[in-house]
Amino acid sequence: MSLFSTWKELRAKGIMGINQRNADYVLRYNQRHLYPLVDDKIKTKERAVHAGIHVPPMYGIIDSDKQISSLSEIVKDHGDFVIKPAQGAGGDGIIVIADQFEGYYRTTSGRLLSHDDIEFHLSGILSGIYSLGGHRDRALIEYRVTPDPIFSAISYEGVPDIRIIVLKGYPLLAMLRLPTRQSGGKANLHQGAIGVGVDLATGITLDGTWLNKFINRHPDTTNPVRGVQLPFWDGFMSLATRCYELTGLGYLGVDMVLDKDRGPLMLELNARPGLNIQIANDAGLAARCRKVEDEIDRLATKGINKPSPAKRQAFCQREFASQCLPDQLGADSAPASENKGISSI
Amino acid sequence: MKGVKLHVRVLALALLVIGAGSTAWQIFVLNIPVSSDTTEPVWVIDTKLNFNARDNSPVKVQMYVPPVWSKFITLNESFISKNYGVNTDVVGDNRQATWSARRADGNQQLFYRLMLTKRSNSRFSESEPGPLFQESPELIGVEKVAVEALLKPIREHSADIETFIREAIKLINEPSNDNARLLLGNNYTQDNKSRVLELLLSSAHIPVERVHTLRLVSSVAQVSELWMRSYNGKRWLYFNPETGTQGLPNDRVVWWTGDEPMASVEGGRNLKIEVTANQKTMNSIMLAQSIAERKENKFWALSLYDLPLQSQQTFEIILMIPIGVMLILLLRNVIGLETLGTFTPVLIGLAFRETQVFWGVILFTTITALGLSLRSYLEHLHLQLLSRLSVVLTFVVIVMALISVLGHRLGLDRGLSIALFPMVILTMSIERMSIVWEERGGVHAGKVGIGTLVAASLSHLMMTYEPWSYFVFTFPGMLLVFMSLMLMLGHYRGYRLTELFRFKAMIKGK
Repeated sequence: MSLFSTWKELRAKGIMGINQRNADYVLRYNQRHLYPLVDDKIKTKERAVHAGIHVPPMYGIIDSDKQISSLSEIVKDHGDFVIKPAQGAGGDGIIVIADQFEGYYRTTSGRLLSHDDIEFHLSGILSGIYSLGGHRDRALIEYRVTPDPIFSAISYEGVPDIRIIVLKGYPLLAMLRLPTRQSGGKANLHQGAIGVGVDLATGITLDGTWLNKFINRHPDTTNPVRGVQLPFWDGFMSLATRCYELTGLGYLGVDMVLDKDRGPLMLELNARPGLNIQIANDAGLAARCRKVEDEIDRLATKGINKPSPAKRQAFCQREFASQCLPDQLGADSAPASENKGISSI
Repeated sequence: MKGVKLHVRVLALALLVIGAGSTAWQIFVLNIPVSSDTTEPVWVIDTKLNFNARDNSPVKVQMYVPPVWSKFITLNESFISKNYGVNTDVVGDNRQATWSARRADGNQQLFYRLMLTKRSNSRFSESEPGPLFQESPELIGVEKVAVEALLKPIREHSADIETFIREAIKLINEPSNDNARLLLGNNYTQDNKSRVLELLLSSAHIPVERVHTLRLVSSVAQVSELWMRSYNGKRWLYFNPETGTQGLPNDRVVWWTGDEPMASVEGGRNLKIEVTANQKTMNSIMLAQSIAERKENKFWALSLYDLPLQSQQTFEIILMIPIGVMLILLLRNVIGLETLGTFTPVLIGLAFRETQVFWGVILFTTITALGLSLRSYLEHLHLQLLSRLSVVLTFVVIVMALISVLGHRLGLDRGLSIALFPMVILTMSIERMSIVWEERGGVHAGKVGIGTLVAASLSHLMMTYEPWSYFVFTFPGMLLVFMSLMLMLGHYRGYRLTELFRFKAMIKGK
């Protein structure tokens, strides 16, 4: 196939390229001065709490070397917790403590850390080892998310998360990101995690993408990733939709998790979300963006400049519903017996 | 958004027009050559005057030199003499140089060197001055009869001044014509023929003048060649007094007009004149410069050639950076090549100037690999960013010093050129590379590293490509053209080449 025809077919399908994303969406809808809001997880979290959006509860903030010693005070009521650099990128510098034991901290991988180790790590975070550009940073101590058991069959370690791309408060595409052995438990597609498309209307998973290829089974568990009904789907959708009002950023990737006890929680926001979500959904972002922009124009002519989040969500769930939903329980793939228990609530 | 797009397009177009326009103006109006390789012939004419001075008497030597109105441009003119004062004056249509000395003894030598080049373009030529009025001579006796007898057939066979003169020349050169023979008086020298021709034409009230020309051929001894010229009311017509052909050939330079000899000496004798001509080639750009200098062209004064030589060399490098930057822009935004940092490849490419590509790549790879291993070791020490970078930088300096010393010992002088590698850039490359390694894995880091080297090598090759660096340096308007292209690329929304492969699965799936 010639490159030219590839180009034309991609255009016809409304696939968004990086240049188009940067010029037409990121630069146009995301004002620079709003970036710190999403780059700093503490600021995002504070805003979200204020707006009534569910986030993993914050146990404390450490923003100076003096406060490092107060860690034990902060976590004394919590057996498990997560330490994160506020401005970290790519999941660096995150320590997940599963358990406290005789003054030691046990990470999820089973390693025991002494109090000194943790304090050293915290001072590293503060000095900006993990932050973009090496700025001084703050450390965030927060609730440890326990993934809902529904994901156990289709993920390998780590916490799967759900990303929804939102344009001006209209959710466009959704993707479930599943850690693999290769990604080292991180839900980052660059590092080898799987992205699985999700139908916006129903929350049922579609096919997946792994390293720019289509796949339909998890490479570690060999279970099909298709046809899984995500619980609380409308909750996720409404969460993502409301993040527009939260930040004012017009083009946004909202990362969420499903906690066993607390349900959908917003983890972080991304002002430059990646494009692989298109492969996961087999759908073009540009095409959907155009539809949403038309809708915004249509409403504007009718004098509606700020449609309610519920209306926007309804519009997208109506317009962007998947045409061919997979049968639940994945009847078209893999022995049905293996899929029991993972595909529904 | 639409407004911004239009704005960018208008701005880009304006820059393109200004840039391309100024370049075109330089090429077509100022005649600046488009390539540094073009050379043009330049004639060096050496005139040597040799005479014996009378003892203890003042000496004055006068010699005609080519006038300013000739078809050639004088690039350089020098009078070389010992203890003589030199002046040039305009005498009528001619220019005359006068050497003078209070006292001179024995054999004297004077030199006059002239560098000429052809006017490449008619706009340069200055109009030749018109004729001076000449009275027709009084003729008596046989001569009068002979002249009239000759003029009659000439008048009959001619239509205008041009044909009249040609006819006259033909008759004079006809040995069988009695009247002509009588006038020539058995003296068939060129000089005498010209004299008769003058006589004949001035009797017919056609002003005619002798023109002494020099033929431009590389030879040792040159003699001036006599031509005749006449003014037809609009321009001068040149005739060969022997053949009657009209029009001065392109390789003749007018030296002086009139009947007088080329040079004369007062207070000396045995004047000998030797003229030698030599053809040389001269770089076109230098030629254009020296012409401009002589013409005191203001526009040249604003060009980069006006800078001191040292700064010129610096700017020749600096002006090429936008080309490298544009290449990076294309590689990143249109092709989709991943590189470390934004303009890091350009800076590495600049360092390749000294090391050459092959050694540059090897040195860069070596240092980066060593730096990466140090960096991964430092990782365990949990150092703060700034001190970690400082340690890596110092390490890079040490490695560079070691390579230089080793290279020198082994007789590889290439090793020494490493000193020009930008240390800070190397350090930052190592830091970025290790971050990429951590975040996206070794394969990706390798890909980015190779991408960087490819981009650096390409930008180096483009930045050192001689014809381009000449072109950009000579026509700085090109920078505006680049700027307009960059502006246009700023609104490029198409896919990157790599994205076509990345999303290919989405089409095959159908």
